[in-house]
Amino acid sequence: MRDTAESTPQVRIDRMGDDALLVTLDDALDLDANRRAHRIAAVVGTSRRSVPGLGVATPGHASVLVPFDPARCDEDALRSVLEAIVAAEATPAPPIEGTLHEITVRYGGEDGADLAEVAARTGLSEAEVVRIHAGVEYHVLVLGFVPGFPYLGIVPALLDLPRRATPRVRVPAGSVAIAGRQTGIYPFDTPGGWHLIGRTEAPLWNAARTPPALLAPGDRVRFVPG
Amino acid sequence: MLEVVEPGPLATLQDRGRPGLARLGVPPSGACDPWGLAVANALSAAPPEGVAVEVTLGGAEFLVIEACTVALAGADLGAARDDGGSLAAGAVHLLPAGARIRFAGSATGMRAYLGLAGGIVAPRVLGSAATCVRYGLGGIDGRQLRAGDRLTPARRGDLGASHRTWPARIAPHPGLDGGPIRFVPGPDLRHLPATTTDVLVASTWTVGNSSDRMGLRLEGIALPPGREILSHPVVPGAIQLPADGRPLILLVDGPTIGGYPVAGVVPRWQLPRLGQLRPGEALTLAPQDAAEARAAWQEQQRLFAVAAEAISADALWDRLADGVGG
Repeated sequence: MRDTAESTPQVRIDRMGDDALLVTLDDALDLDANRRAHRIAAVVGTSRRSVPGLGVATPGHASVLVPFDPARCDEDALRSVLEAIVAAEATPAPPIEGTLHEITVRYGGEDGADLAEVAARTGLSEAEVVRIHAGVEYHVLVLGFVPGFPYLGIVPALLDLPRRATPRVRVPAGSVAIAGRQTGIYPFDTPGGWHLIGRTEAPLWNAARTPPALLAPGDRVRFVPG
Repeated sequence: MLEVVEPGPLATLQDRGRPGLARLGVPPSGACDPWGLAVANALSAAPPEGVAVEVTLGGAEFLVIEACTVALAGADLGAARDDGGSLAAGAVHLLPAGARIRFAGSATGMRAYLGLAGGIVAPRVLGSAATCVRYGLGGIDGRQLRAGDRLTPARRGDLGASHRTWPARIAPHPGLDGGPIRFVPGPDLRHLPATTTDVLVASTWTVGNSSDRMGLRLEGIALPPGREILSHPVVPGAIQLPADGRPLILLVDGPTIGGYPVAGVVPRWQLPRLGQLRPGEALTLAPQDAAEARAAWQEQQRLFAVAAEAISADALWDRLADGVGG
């Protein structure tokens, strides 16, 4: 989270190739910047009617990717549009009171292969790590990386660890993991560099369901040891 | 209609993919070489959103169950009939029931596209038939093709496409011209050592063996480890610098969000070429101005439109001349 002494960062608009711009609101994890990113993405979405060639925006933690068709949409004109949207959304966004999900997690053991190491590295007991992880209500900051993967924040500073030096080739689906000030749940077997502390049966992704992702940005999550 | 006898290393049904779902974490998927797919669709008289088989390297074999036209595009992977007749890429071939198509493999290129009249019939999942094996999306039950799978043309029994050929005056694959892979610098150069671009450009890289539809791993000298940054959305073509210092070029099944700095992004007009790089192949990188990249894309699109129009005009003329009717 932001150190209060730090000044508000300058908004940046950078190229992501020849057909997209990346609007960056913040370089640090910050709930307010996250909410603004979602609001900006939504406003870009409604602007598609008036701006020919504008693609579907993708929100990030504190950024928005804006694809466009350069044949129909001038980059400089789009930058002006985005600057105006960012300026109009400069005020702190009101918190979104999204759905609260309680997700049951089996912590430690085979289900959380890194729990002992997390405890050792943070100087806590395994039980304390679990109590701290499950003691906070998290916000769904963004979905991404793989289908339905929720980036959740903000993890208490006591559990703040950098990612594993060597990522795992295969993290089992359902794994609950932490890295930095974030926690997440792997919906699929994928490579992954976060610390695995538990596992859940929660159906995070089902392509046949509408919507296919269990969680949505703005939703809240509480982990329940079980 | 075709039956898969042997899928080879990887054969999947692909179309233009499902862009616009990155907010759910869904990658675009679709053809790794969009130009190759577009040529297969044009030759098959399929719409731009038509479905074709993406064949990887050598080893795939298909049996013709019912006489049909087969369009081949993308890399020339040594396709031939079992009776020895070669099946050129950039052309449509009329095949009788019982014929077999074998991909023997070749020295260059990674992916061929096999199209059937009107495109291949496949259900859509989240707006697209594109297969993403890792997440079980699209194709046949979200999986890669396997022996026994049957592929049905949308225009079953229509053999009219057999008159179609790619015009000789236009390169069948503009992406395979050699030269460095271009990238538009940014967006995370401020998070990287100032020498990063110079090192990327001065080195010769080799496509790593663990490369797949998610990304190309580049082997060469190790760059300083990319330090973690606040994750942001990424796109196919993004050149990421992960903690091991080995650059990774994301492809169509890659992650939608990444936490390592992106030094540059391969522009759209070069994506067909990225999709044709094979493990072990050497490459160099060179920066390109965004305006130049856009001009190259427009020229590529113009050439495609000219060729597509020539294909359908020729086919119409041939059919009229045959008295088949327009």
